[in-house]
Amino acid sequence: MRRAASHRTVWGLAAIALLTSTLAAQQGGPPRRTTNAPPAPSGQTPRTADGRPDLTGVWNALGDNLNGIPNQMANNGVVIDSATSARDLHSGLRIPVFPRNTTRPHNNEQAERAASLLRRIGANRPIYKPEYWQMVKDFDHNSNVEDPSNNCMPAGIPRGGIPSYIGQQKDHLIFIYPGQGGLIATQTMYRMIPLDGRAHTPMQDLDGTYTGEGIGHWEGDTLVVDTWGFTPNTWFDQIGGYFHGENMHTIERFTRNGNTLTWTVTVHDPDYLFEPWTATPRVAVLNPNPKAMLPESLPCSERDLDHLVTKEHH
Amino acid sequence: MPHVPGIARAVVVVAVAGLAGVQTATAQQKPPDRATVLRTAADALGMVRWSDIGAGTTRLPGIDVVNTMEFWANGTVDVGGKAVKTEYHAAIGYNPTAMRVELTAGGKRQGPFQTVRDTFAWDESELGAGLAPGQGTATPAMGAVRERLLHLWTLPYGVVKAALAAGDKTTVAVEGGATVITFPLTGALAGVTVKATLDSNSLITRVETRADEAGLTTVTEYSNYADRAEVLTDIKSPGRIVRKQGTRTLMDIEVKMWETNNLYLVFPVPPNVKAAAVANSR
Repeated sequence: MRRAASHRTVWGLAAIALLTSTLAAQQGGPPRRTTNAPPAPSGQTPRTADGRPDLTGVWNALGDNLNGIPNQMANNGVVIDSATSARDLHSGLRIPVFPRNTTRPHNNEQAERAASLLRRIGANRPIYKPEYWQMVKDFDHNSNVEDPSNNCMPAGIPRGGIPSYIGQQKDHLIFIYPGQGGLIATQTMYRMIPLDGRAHTPMQDLDGTYTGEGIGHWEGDTLVVDTWGFTPNTWFDQIGGYFHGENMHTIERFTRNGNTLTWTVTVHDPDYLFEPWTATPRVAVLNPNPKAMLPESLPCSERDLDHLVTKEHH
Repeated sequence: MPHVPGIARAVVVVAVAGLAGVQTATAQQKPPDRATVLRTAADALGMVRWSDIGAGTTRLPGIDVVNTMEFWANGTVDVGGKAVKTEYHAAIGYNPTAMRVELTAGGKRQGPFQTVRDTFAWDESELGAGLAPGQGTATPAMGAVRERLLHLWTLPYGVVKAALAAGDKTTVAVEGGATVITFPLTGALAGVTVKATLDSNSLITRVETRADEAGLTTVTEYSNYADRAEVLTDIKSPGRIVRKQGTRTLMDIEVKMWETNNLYLVFPVPPNVKAAAVANSR
């Protein structure tokens, strides 16, 4: 990305290394992946006493959804199935694949420039009203300074994606999204999602927040979390300058299948979006260690923005 | 180095030289390998990329990273048979296949946006016209689909993508010392053959298209490649584009900026354009 961002990059890489080594230690060795395709589920889906799928667990066995390029590409809908096959899940387009022609690691600049392209490659883009097309493009173009999450603020919902921890009770759930002090500098978020059948507070009576007012219910074996009451000070996807208004309304769907959890979200924002947008489904894998814990997130301290000299970004 | 008697050493030298000569001659006669040529051409443009940021132990191969791009240029464009001085602005997408061209002079737009996506072509009175009532007019231009798509697929990135997609139908050869790639286009452009010439750096410098339809027989020359983006990506773009149809110059432009970072460009097809296409197909 930029040399001036070295502090945050170093801390970010350190955090990733720590997470990776923590997971490796917990699992007895890191799994080797040569694909970023959604992992196939294995094992039984545990159920609670009332017969619901039990979503409880640490859902970080694939690493963090916001940081890793393989995960981010999959989140963006581009899946590399094998050494010779890649496709866009949204459009179905086959994408040419090539073997790496060097074993030399990229330097920071090469890695960041490639990452920036790879994160944005997918076809599944929200369609804004035409009068906002330029604004979205400008936000993304200038995301070093415009991205609300680049200044140690919470990523917000639905940008947070799949929570790294879910604790399920009969009448509520707890979601934890660890913050990241590294490549995308954000604060830790948590949500308490009632399952008691309550109605939403009228939107106009809510002070907008980063996680909004989320209320859950079950549709068969799928947990549906209906959220509104957001601050407009977030973007709703990991990249792209996808801003929204205070009337944004999101519908998240969580479906557990064995050791996998599939999540997607539909974003409604009639003030800015031409039509509702549904994110490419993401799949998280349960940490296989039943004693797995979430490591503490590093504190976020933004020291780089004043030193940026180019518009290159993640 | 072990000691070798003089005569024996001379024999070895002659033999090695002879073998090298045979290999050189063989290399000159042997057609270049298609996969290698296409990979090298893609690499020259910066299209093949991977990144291990946050990847942990995952190691993915490289993929073609080019989807959306936007460029701005100055020069002349043929409008109704006349060379018109213009500022040329194009938004491009390869997933989906789409292009939107805007011509302006002195900040004033010269005609509508000329847009194509997949098998739909239309003119927009304003950006995104026709999507919502009261917001401009989208005029179907189905007769322009092939011509507009041809422009997209004869850009350097389109050439590499289409040549890869054509698989075994793509051939490579050496003509006049330069590597040449030849392949057929498909879909709406079936019947068009593309011949692209690479320079010594494997950059595409000349693209010829041949078809029964005169409007689709063109020659485009690209030169002065560089990364012209404000958000640098290491993707190279041409600095000059000259496009001709016979002796008629369709376009002669100097590129000022070429953004390549898969930026937010969308091309939704207006409902009336879809309806017109359905009506045309009946």
